[in-house]
Amino acid sequence: MRAVKSLGLAAKWLLGLGMAAICWGAFLYARPAQSFVGESSRIVFFHVPQAWVATVAFFVAAWYSGMYLRRRRIEDDDAASAAARLGFLFCVLATVTGSIFARVMWNSYWNWDPRETSIVLLLLVYGAYLGLRGALEDPERRAALSAAYALVAVVTVPFLVFAVPRMYQSLHPDTVINAEGKVKMSSDIRLIFFSSMVAFMGLFYWMWNLDRRVSRIVRERTA
Amino acid sequence: MRLVVDGLTRSYGARRIFGPLSFEVRGGTVLGVSGSNGSGKTTLLKTLSGLIRPSAGSTKILLEGEEGAGSGPRDVPWCIGWVAPDLALYGELTAEENLDFFERVRGRASSRAKDLLAGVGLPESSYSKKSLSSLSTGQRQRVKLAYATLHDPAVLFLDEPSSNLDADGVEVVARVVASQRSRGIAIIASNDPRDLALADETLSL
Amino acid sequence: MSARAPAPLLGAALAVLRKDLLAEWRTRIAVNALFLFAFAVLVLVGYAVGPTRLAPEDRPTVNAVLLWIVIFFSAMTGLARVFVKEEEGGTAAALRLAAPPAAVLLGKYLVNIVLLFAVTAFIVPLFLVLTSFEIACPALFAVLLVLGCLGLAGASTFTAALVSKAAAKGALFAVLSIPLLLPPLIAAVSGTQVAAREADFSAGVDFVRVLVAYDGVVTTAAFALFDAVWRE
Repeated sequence: MRAVKSLGLAAKWLLGLGMAAICWGAFLYARPAQSFVGESSRIVFFHVPQAWVATVAFFVAAWYSGMYLRRRRIEDDDAASAAARLGFLFCVLATVTGSIFARVMWNSYWNWDPRETSIVLLLLVYGAYLGLRGALEDPERRAALSAAYALVAVVTVPFLVFAVPRMYQSLHPDTVINAEGKVKMSSDIRLIFFSSMVAFMGLFYWMWNLDRRVSRIVRERTA
Repeated sequence: MRLVVDGLTRSYGARRIFGPLSFEVRGGTVLGVSGSNGSGKTTLLKTLSGLIRPSAGSTKILLEGEEGAGSGPRDVPWCIGWVAPDLALYGELTAEENLDFFERVRGRASSRAKDLLAGVGLPESSYSKKSLSSLSTGQRQRVKLAYATLHDPAVLFLDEPSSNLDADGVEVVARVVASQRSRGIAIIASNDPRDLALADETLSL
Repeated sequence: MSARAPAPLLGAALAVLRKDLLAEWRTRIAVNALFLFAFAVLVLVGYAVGPTRLAPEDRPTVNAVLLWIVIFFSAMTGLARVFVKEEEGGTAAALRLAAPPAAVLLGKYLVNIVLLFAVTAFIVPLFLVLTSFEIACPALFAVLLVLGCLGLAGASTFTAALVSKAAAKGALFAVLSIPLLLPPLIAAVSGTQVAAREADFSAGVDFVRVLVAYDGVVTTAAFALFDAVWRE
């Protein structure tokens, strides 16, 4: 037990120091990428991991929603709602950083680019899920209904991610395409980028655990 | 047939409403459930009938000649009948249309409405062409009794069945409970001595 | 008493449909409100856009969007009632005990389909006339209308069931429905824009495919998850 606790503590310190190192590296170590305007490529170290976490969090929420409906354990609902709250936060961050980037790169805050559209739709799903939870008092009903909504929402994700962008491309042939994924990364950029992905996942996991524990404590205290 | 309750509990958060309860009711028995207001009688009936999911434990119904663990109330909805003050039927439809609908929805031929209503002491003139909401509370209660029994359920749950009824109405309840005894089980939750007098056994919450 | 098999699904669903239509016909409050709303929005749009205010090349794009906005908001006004009325009227418990959950969902889905088709049949001809919206491929347009309405009704019926047990039902219904409905709406709008421009059905067949897939997927998910929503 003590070994696990010290391992957890060490991991948190590692995460904290790692993030600090990444922030330093993002601005002072990595060189600006070629095809980007000025220093704007640096935002990629934050924007892409945020969008990635926002998406992963959604699937985590859906998974635990399914678990709740199967097992009816309130801890599964804690896990699902924690993932959704964090997913919403990261989704907002991803949308804002993406918009800033779009302004610098293409001189307009919003283009309805396929990826931009998808992130906004994800934001709407999160908002709806959290809105539903806010309107339900009874914990069991709240858990069951929000779980059902999350699962229906998750089956519409393929449409958001695949079908909608295809439709937009067919209509707007001059759609500005996000170039991030297609950039060949130099080794310094690659190092910071993948470290940042790992660090953001670690950050999500840590915050998710905290949120779950808080939910449990609140429940035990108010009982 | 039997109704077997094992460790049945219902809580809201940390607040225990009732349980753990374990008991058995044999076919041909009327069980009375008494207790002060707020003691959980209605919640117990709702849990036994499958309207509410229990927090722990189970309710099982074993029909004639059935072996094994039996079925939960949600698995055998055609065996369950329920009447209670917070049960409402469709006010815009007539009593007859209401019963027709519930017969159809239970997969039965919808033709017995008039007979069912006569069985609870309502002559056709009292309900014909009148929307359910325009009937008196006592008349509506009788229609609810008809709703609860139209499919000959093995287990009939009655929550405060004599409420809002005159002496004739109370007699109808007694008749319904008596015929239910020959069909299966009746479980009555009430504080009204007229209701509890119909019971063979009582459970206090 | 005897052990009986569960009630046949379709018969029970049709009984629910029949009962809801009968009850609605008796009072007609909700239906009137729905059609009045649709009419009011139509008048607003028709006046603001009209047959002449848009350049001909812009008409397919803008009119398609406006038409589906009118249909969508009419749906948001009228489709929650199927479940909200049951919960608010206290009749949900009686229904819960008597009907198999799948039959309840199917029945309510059919009610919403009837309502939405009726309102759309009212909106579309008026819209086409008020805005002089010309459709090059009526067949594609008709198919998109049918599939789009089926998708709208499918998702809305499910969210109606969710919302009927929550507070702030009115606002929440639209909030929950919009994310689920954006994919089919986008497909329907884009497809309608194509149908307005091109006489060839196959030009818009991709959108038809998306709608068919979406309708199938969401309806299946709704039926799979309805039990958890409907029962306590």
